Amino acid sequence: MSKILLVEDDEIMPKIVARILSSAEYELDHVSNGKEAFEKLETANYGYDLIITDIMMPYANGFEILSRVKSQPSPIPVIIVSNAGNEDMIMEGFKLGADDFLKKPIIPAELLIRVKRLLMKNK
Amino acid sequence: MEGILSWLGIVYENTLFIYGLVLLLVYALLALLSMLAIRYYTRKDTQHQLDILASSPMAPGLTILAPAFNEGLTIISNVRSLLTLNYPRYEIIIINDGSTDNTMEQLIAEFNMVAVDFAYNARILTQPVRKIYKSTNPAYSSLLVIDKVNGKSKADAVNAGINIATFKYFVCTDVDCILHKDTLLELALPVMQEQKNRVIAVGATLRIANSSEFDEGVLIRMRPPRQLLPRFQEVEYIRSFVLGKMGWSYINCVPNVSGGLGLFDKEVATWCGGYDHSSFGEDMELLTRMCRYAHDNQINYAVRYIPKTLCWTEGPSSVKIFSRQRTRWARGLAQLMYAHFSMFMNPRYGKMGLIVFPFNFFFELLAPLIEFSGILIYIYLGVTGQVNWPYALLLLLFVYTYAVMITTISILWDQLSFGYYKKWWEVAYLCLTPFMEFLLYHPLIVFFSLRGYYYFLTGKKSTWGNMQRQGFGKKKK
Amino acid sequence: MFEISIPAFLDPVLNTFREAPLAIRLAMIFIIITVLVTLLAYFSILRSRFLGYQRRKRLDYLLPKIDNLIIDEIMAHPEVAAGTPASQIQLNLDGFGELPLHKKWARQATTDRIIHFRRNVRGNAGHLLRNLYIQLELSKDTMKQMKSSKWARKVRALTEFIDMDIPVADVTLLPLTNSRNRELRAAARHAYIKLSKNEPFKFFDVVTDPLLMWDQVELFRIITTTEDISIPNFARWITYSSNKSVVSFCLKLIIHYNQLPAVPAVIKLLDTKDHYLRADAINCLGKLKVPDVEDKLIAMYSSQPLQCQIEILKAIGRISSGKQVDFLKQEFLHSTNFDLRKAAAKSLVKNDWVASAVIQELLATANRENLLILKHCMNPLIKY
Repeated sequence: MSKILLVEDDEIMPKIVARILSSAEYELDHVSNGKEAFEKLETANYGYDLIITDIMMPYANGFEILSRVKSQPSPIPVIIVSNAGNEDMIMEGFKLGADDFLKKPIIPAELLIRVKRLLMKNK
Repeated sequence: MEGILSWLGIVYENTLFIYGLVLLLVYALLALLSMLAIRYYTRKDTQHQLDILASSPMAPGLTILAPAFNEGLTIISNVRSLLTLNYPRYEIIIINDGSTDNTMEQLIAEFNMVAVDFAYNARILTQPVRKIYKSTNPAYSSLLVIDKVNGKSKADAVNAGINIATFKYFVCTDVDCILHKDTLLELALPVMQEQKNRVIAVGATLRIANSSEFDEGVLIRMRPPRQLLPRFQEVEYIRSFVLGKMGWSYINCVPNVSGGLGLFDKEVATWCGGYDHSSFGEDMELLTRMCRYAHDNQINYAVRYIPKTLCWTEGPSSVKIFSRQRTRWARGLAQLMYAHFSMFMNPRYGKMGLIVFPFNFFFELLAPLIEFSGILIYIYLGVTGQVNWPYALLLLLFVYTYAVMITTISILWDQLSFGYYKKWWEVAYLCLTPFMEFLLYHPLIVFFSLRGYYYFLTGKKSTWGNMQRQGFGKKKK
Repeated sequence: MFEISIPAFLDPVLNTFREAPLAIRLAMIFIIITVLVTLLAYFSILRSRFLGYQRRKRLDYLLPKIDNLIIDEIMAHPEVAAGTPASQIQLNLDGFGELPLHKKWARQATTDRIIHFRRNVRGNAGHLLRNLYIQLELSKDTMKQMKSSKWARKVRALTEFIDMDIPVADVTLLPLTNSRNRELRAAARHAYIKLSKNEPFKFFDVVTDPLLMWDQVELFRIITTTEDISIPNFARWITYSSNKSVVSFCLKLIIHYNQLPAVPAVIKLLDTKDHYLRADAINCLGKLKVPDVEDKLIAMYSSQPLQCQIEILKAIGRISSGKQVDFLKQEFLHSTNFDLRKAAAKSLVKNDWVASAVIQELLATANRENLLILKHCMNPLIKY
């Protein structure tokens, strides 16, 4: 079973993602800001198979999460899910090592495919 | 002799009567105008618009300028909170104004800063910039730190930032202010939505942070200050921003964009030479010069305000520090009125010359003098037994109830549009404050203002220098 | 005559009033008025807080229910995942029957929630959310709002129709596109582009007032997110529109859609008398990376105002054909304007696949200030 961390400050998105990534196959943890994300990552000793994160969030934004995660000895794959339409911002994300980017509103099936693909690649 | 004196007495009495009447009318008018302005703000679907702007590739770039002097205790969490503001395109410039503590070292260590060769065109003269730092971590690529020689004023520090700012608009704040996460979105909207004018500045409501709860630079819970002096200031801020500035904004007559938070048109600000470091009220001074510049150059300008609270600042909680702040403000006002007196009633300067300036002159600058002289005359008349006490007390009661009413109305506007504070009794607590304001707070302000004018006239050297900020996190654990 | 009994303790007050001069009388009257207004304000504060409290409580109760229903019925609908088109999926509305949808506030809350969901998901699930909105007959209230005399209500209704993609008749929309209220006018235009099936871009032909920066943001979002809109060649308005803001906006759309067929029209726009528009046109050509245009830009360079010169230098950097290195070097060394030198240096760096030798030479020979500019532009840590 793959362990996924979702960092998202919208209240509906986590519910949707929880439904897309069924609990039979994925273990989904949800936090709603950067501070909680770091706490979660620290306590789990970065033991996640995938991180799905937004960019604009309180305490620490998606870029900081990316930079911290990607500087670990075994970097966790990261998918950015954001409504950012500014190309510079998306480029910035990829520069920091983001593995994928999905623009909100998302197509549920697409998220599922990308998650599966990334998990496969890192198996 | 007798005749002249009594004639003078009558003139004084009548002038004062008209003065008072006009002041009351102006406040009634402001209450009405602010209602219209706030209603317009709340009716349009602002939250939806903010969401759209946050995701738009066409949002105008903004530069945040935050000067820091010996802010070692809070600098990291405050910069972090600036890094997490909701906005698609912005840079943050922290100006370390020759701090003597470890502010600079902390920034370098925490954000992996390195000195870079940075070329810029210094259009405004400032104290020398020692080095410019950028982060090697791409996550902080929007952050830039200027390390400069102390200029003994916020003005000099911000000017150094204006020289380096990339974007067309800059947002000026204090590093010890806490900003709402949508601050940049909110400030950008009025610029983009103005129809005919060029928006040269936008301000928003400020509030006192003293008893509110913050966590690493993020607001958790709003509370009215528990201590009396800061609570007076909270009430004063609500009145001055929600009722005053919003009313003026509705007719494009905003006199001042507060130094705690404001967005400015960089081009106009630079043409004006930036902030004046010799001014004691550099925020109002700059705005006045920008407006004047716009008039002189036939730019149809607008200055707008937002009723929503976007910035929390620590209000002085000791009378000593409060007195310094208010004395400085009063001195700045006197300076400003003196320097720009040619605008007074000058039709060339449109609303600025005919409304904003006269209002500030009569009802801001002269008010403490008139009140003080009124008290002296009352004492004289009282001693010589010429006062009709029942009438005098009735008039006083009228002024008192009117003042309470105006303040309550501003709290009402604030509550109707945003419903701040969690508990109803916190609002009730706030509503009781104006009853004491008249007797306890107002006399203080009159006294400190007079002291400020006195310093202005005698040219006393200021003693506060860099101490103007009393530091915010210092009490925070 | 009226007989009003007055309590005795008020007698001294009344006597004072009768004997007092006008000013004092007025003051007494106004004291009563101010006290009443203050009390009214207290009452309004309490009332608004109470209503707010009630609203929150009701929503706290209702929203989780709505969310669960939507998640169960829409997100987890087996046929959505199977890829069945939304129009063929039968929704089970039984669960929604238990919501208090006979109440207006509950209908509004459900609508808002559906919109919130649609801002997070699109595709089949998005269509299904729209079907849910229609089948629950939530648009009825919105139709009523459209007839309201208050502009804010109409704006809200239009925004809702845009979000839910509900068609509105042109006859309803067109009069509103000329409303005197800016917000309403803008909302009606957006609705027209999004919802009119006839000619969504027709309004570009008729609009005479300038599009504000904000209007452009909204239009851009609507045009780029509407799925079945046919994108015309924007050169049409570049050539024929007399509204400068429309032309400038079309340039941005051309960049977004990378509309190379529009390039000749944009090049023709370089002859316009308006500096701002010309700068926008140069910017557009640079971002489209049109290589043949470099010579023309350089030929016109010396007669341009500063903003256009900067745009020309930037465009050469963006096109990065490698042919204009000498020109950039010339400008970098000899321009007296700081911004021009910096733009030239930046573009040189962007051309470094052919200009590296030149850059090395400049690094070795440039004066102090130019050296600083060059180092600034070469430093990857500095963005602007």
